[in-house]
Amino acid sequence: MRNRDAHLSDEELVLAADGELSAARAAEIAGHLDACWTCRARRRQLEDAAADFRRVHQETPLPPASAARARLRARLAGIAAERPVGRHAWLHTRLHARLRAAAVGAIALIATVGIFSLQPWRWSRANRPLEVPSPRLTPGAARTADREQLCQAPLPKNQAAPADLRQRVFQAYGMANADPRAYEVDYLITPALGGAEDIRNLWPQPYVSTVWNARVKDALEDRLRDLVCGGQLDLAEAQREISANWIAAYKKYFQTDQPPPAP
Amino acid sequence: MRSRSLSLAALPAAAEAEVCGTALEEEVVGLFDCWREPLLRYLATFGLPMADGEEIVQEVFLSLFQHLRRGGARSNLRGWLFRVAHNLGLKRRYRTIRSWRGETPGPAGSEWLPDPAPGPLEQLLAGETALRLAAVLRALPERDRRCLTLRAEGLRYREIAGTLAMSLGAVSLSLTRSLARIARAAER
Repeated sequence: MRNRDAHLSDEELVLAADGELSAARAAEIAGHLDACWTCRARRRQLEDAAADFRRVHQETPLPPASAARARLRARLAGIAAERPVGRHAWLHTRLHARLRAAAVGAIALIATVGIFSLQPWRWSRANRPLEVPSPRLTPGAARTADREQLCQAPLPKNQAAPADLRQRVFQAYGMANADPRAYEVDYLITPALGGAEDIRNLWPQPYVSTVWNARVKDALEDRLRDLVCGGQLDLAEAQREISANWIAAYKKYFQTDQPPPAP
Repeated sequence: MRSRSLSLAALPAAAEAEVCGTALEEEVVGLFDCWREPLLRYLATFGLPMADGEEIVQEVFLSLFQHLRRGGARSNLRGWLFRVAHNLGLKRRYRTIRSWRGETPGPAGSEWLPDPAPGPLEQLLAGETALRLAAVLRALPERDRRCLTLRAEGLRYREIAGTLAMSLGAVSLSLTRSLARIARAAER
């Protein structure tokens, strides 16, 4: 049994500061700290040490990212052009074409069942959810870049694109047979940020089976509109960021690597 | 808004696989933008030249692309990235040391490359306390410095333990030891 009056060890102070203790022990430590000046002073010293290190660490001089990013893009494009490798490669090399077609059909069937039962399902490569649109098919298109006009007008209703346009989007993505109930044909630049009803601004975004889904993008759109209309962000910049890579934009504006889990 | 136009009718009907590939490339580039700097800062603890660090980061994201393309797990990608960077960093350093031994020998009996950090670090920091801090950081055992770096990048103890193949207890001891040393240097 612990002696309530004994001073806390450095390790316990560090563990408590980092939130790595059980709730019960963390509460005991908080109680001790309330009463003990010595331990509070020691905790302050350790926290200052962490802050000092972090400052030095963050100041490590690094070269700009642009050249490295361009190089990575080129190398990824090279790999993407190669044949798929890994655990599904046998599908492409060993099986007779008819067997392969049957296997693909079975995977599609299982994926469909997965959608209907709304269970988490790892999609086959061919059915990978389109978390971000193809920059070739959906580069993004805006109807206005005028902030005053956009922010003073009433918020556009969140209505779906016309049916024929939605159908053309599915066709463009080679998904004419996909279940339309599983996807929202979404605006890349939302109308609330000046996005146009244009096939270059629409793509089939999956509702389920992905962390980066339509619900998460809606949250980003709300945040960006608030920033734009609040004068903290340029409208053209918001349009550019959401159309270049909305996931990267979400991470940037919400300062998180992962969106919160679905409610 | 981009003005590039495209004849949609000319697109092959079954372009889905290609489109998915493009989307995945963009996702990996997005992750690169988020994690390049933290990974480079972590790789600095291996005492490798910056160009080597950049090359390792490229390899990390090419591996990530292959991993995701194969349908690999997406849970805790942050831990995955640091683990792969760590392994590639160790490999690169081992290769560099071997090439040293074969061609121009390094410092006698030296196992590791000299830490290139002191110069820029000392340039950045002014004052006696700051210099003492720089000296403490350089004197930290390599594993302690890595623990501290990973923690400063926001990794939880469990992720640090997974990256460095340590127990949770060893992670907390290492962090406590380092912070106590830094605190002592600030006191003096």
